[in-house]
Amino acid sequence: MAAAAMDPNRAAVAFGRRAVPQLFEQLQQRDAPGRLRALTSLCDLVHEPERLYQTVTGGFLKQLQVLLKDEDPSVRTKTCELLHMLTSHSIGRLALLSSSLLPPLFGLLDDSSSSCRRNVHLVLNGLAQLPAGAQALLPLVPKLMLKLRQMPEEEEEEEQVLLLSTLSCCSRLDPLPALASDGVPVLGQTLTRCSPDVRREAAAVLMALSVPEDGKRQVCEEQFVLVLMVLLQDGDVEVQTNAAGVIMNIVIITTGKYLCLELNVVPVLLSLLSEKEEEEQRKRRKTLVIYCLRALTSLAEAPEGRSLLRNQLPLLERRSQDQDQDVRRAAQTAIRVVTWSP
Amino acid sequence: MALPSYSHRDPNGMYTFSSRPRPVETRSKYREPAPEQTQRQYGNIMYDRRVVRGNSLGQQPNPRQTEQSDPAAVQRQQALKRRAIARRQAREQLRTKTPDALQGRQHVDVQTELYLEELSNIIQTTDIECQTDDFMDRPATPLFIPAKSGVDAETQIEEGELFDFDLEVQPVLEVLVGKTIEQSLLEVMEEEELACLRTQQRVFQELRNNELAEVQRLQEQERRRREEKERRVAQQKEVLMKERETAEKIAARVFSQQYLAGLLPSVFTSLRNHGYFYDHVEKDIEVNFLPWLMAEVNNQLQKRYTARELLDTIIYEVTQKRLEEFRRLETDQQSPDP
Repeated sequence: MAAAAMDPNRAAVAFGRRAVPQLFEQLQQRDAPGRLRALTSLCDLVHEPERLYQTVTGGFLKQLQVLLKDEDPSVRTKTCELLHMLTSHSIGRLALLSSSLLPPLFGLLDDSSSSCRRNVHLVLNGLAQLPAGAQALLPLVPKLMLKLRQMPEEEEEEEQVLLLSTLSCCSRLDPLPALASDGVPVLGQTLTRCSPDVRREAAAVLMALSVPEDGKRQVCEEQFVLVLMVLLQDGDVEVQTNAAGVIMNIVIITTGKYLCLELNVVPVLLSLLSEKEEEEQRKRRKTLVIYCLRALTSLAEAPEGRSLLRNQLPLLERRSQDQDQDVRRAAQTAIRVVTWSP
Repeated sequence: MALPSYSHRDPNGMYTFSSRPRPVETRSKYREPAPEQTQRQYGNIMYDRRVVRGNSLGQQPNPRQTEQSDPAAVQRQQALKRRAIARRQAREQLRTKTPDALQGRQHVDVQTELYLEELSNIIQTTDIECQTDDFMDRPATPLFIPAKSGVDAETQIEEGELFDFDLEVQPVLEVLVGKTIEQSLLEVMEEEELACLRTQQRVFQELRNNELAEVQRLQEQERRRREEKERRVAQQKEVLMKERETAEKIAARVFSQQYLAGLLPSVFTSLRNHGYFYDHVEKDIEVNFLPWLMAEVNNQLQKRYTARELLDTIIYEVTQKRLEEFRRLETDQQSPDP
């Protein structure tokens, strides 16, 4: 293409089927600028599904393994970007999982260049969306928790967000490794950081971690619930949703119930429910509403909670006439539990 | 591109120059406008003006001061000098000279030619200098314009005759723009697809979280109810057991009361039967008096028996004695009889 000839940063691309193989041959050259140019052209080409398929099935991924250990950080960054493109398609993900590229990739997590690390996180995030990928990443979870603990707050916010989102996908599959490596205290710290993305992802991980009973017990300490209450009144809807999800999970056990009743979580949840919302906000708040309703349902199983909520029956009934079917169902369950008597 | 000659300063400070042997090239009178290194003309060295003619050995220049620092060279120099001197001396000795003058005479040089010359040690010398002229720059070659030959002809391309730019550029432009837009469309579609997938995944996750929470809540509820039920059942069982125990206790008490009611008279009766209640005086008489009585009676009887036995023995002895006496008598009777 003319663009390739004019742009000094990109290697020339051959026509048609020959493009990808030739670029990979160029990758085996010794000099770093040549490799960088070839990689940049590859990254452009791989957007197209046909070329991606050719890359994956041509067995070129083994060459990338050598490149991952290259001394030049920009080469490593570009290779990780290429892998990130691969993870956006299913065959790419499968090929990545079945190749032996994962161990060197894990090693690159400690790389010195921050853009390289960011790209590695992008790749891991893409992989983790797939259940098989999350399964493959489970052994990495302790190392990720360690990195999270050591990461300072100010820099690399994007990395943190990506890392937390990878953790949340893995924990949804199996929360036990993350719990075993002291997930809950570390996440408690990340909950208070200033960026809303970080908070959202941290709350999502916490929600996944509080599904098993052990996690619920760990989260049921007072300072966490206080922090979650602060997050419930946060500005970002996503953060509120995730915090409500965590509360929903922890009030299932009795300790959680009584803790939340002590700390007056109920009025906060009720205020969230009773907010008037416009049409386009309705969709985004739907999950928040459902989580709040479920949390209130669990709280209503305790006698004190029931007595509190009996006064709020009109609000719940209003919600049960809502348009959305899921919201209606949740509200009806809540009403049923509140009006139950032994 | 190694240079043929090479000169540098030694660490000692000595300047050395070494050069690869190369044929000497002739120098033209005029300086070349640009020094070219391609064609070198080699001339005959015998006819080169720059080469020294004649014996060059005698003209050894003075050894430079710096050379004396090298001891070996210095020694060689000295040896050479000594040998030269020795040779000269030897030659001198061999050469025949005029014999020395007799006493009172001296040899004097005399000129016998027609014209007398002034002989002096001072050689008159004049210095004449000569210097080649400066190199003259070669004048520029005049431009070579060949003579005109042939016929002149002109031609000119007017605008719009070769091609129409707007028409021709269209396909090229189409391809360029098309490719760019294609690529960008692909990327945008990819991102949209990813976003769609993400939303779907998120919706699914939320639903799953919901249902998970609900399931867990119901599980908890079940568990609590079951535990409550079990506790109540256990309580009930305990109550039942307690009741049963109490009933048993009551029955046991009643029975034992009954049992014990007839116990007392029977006890007394049996004791009385066994002789535990007795009359003291009677007992005393029985225990103390009667045995003594019996013992005394026994004694008395014993005495009587002893007495009787004694009597019996006496009688027996008497009869025995009598018998013996009679026997003795018999024998005595018999013996005197014969």
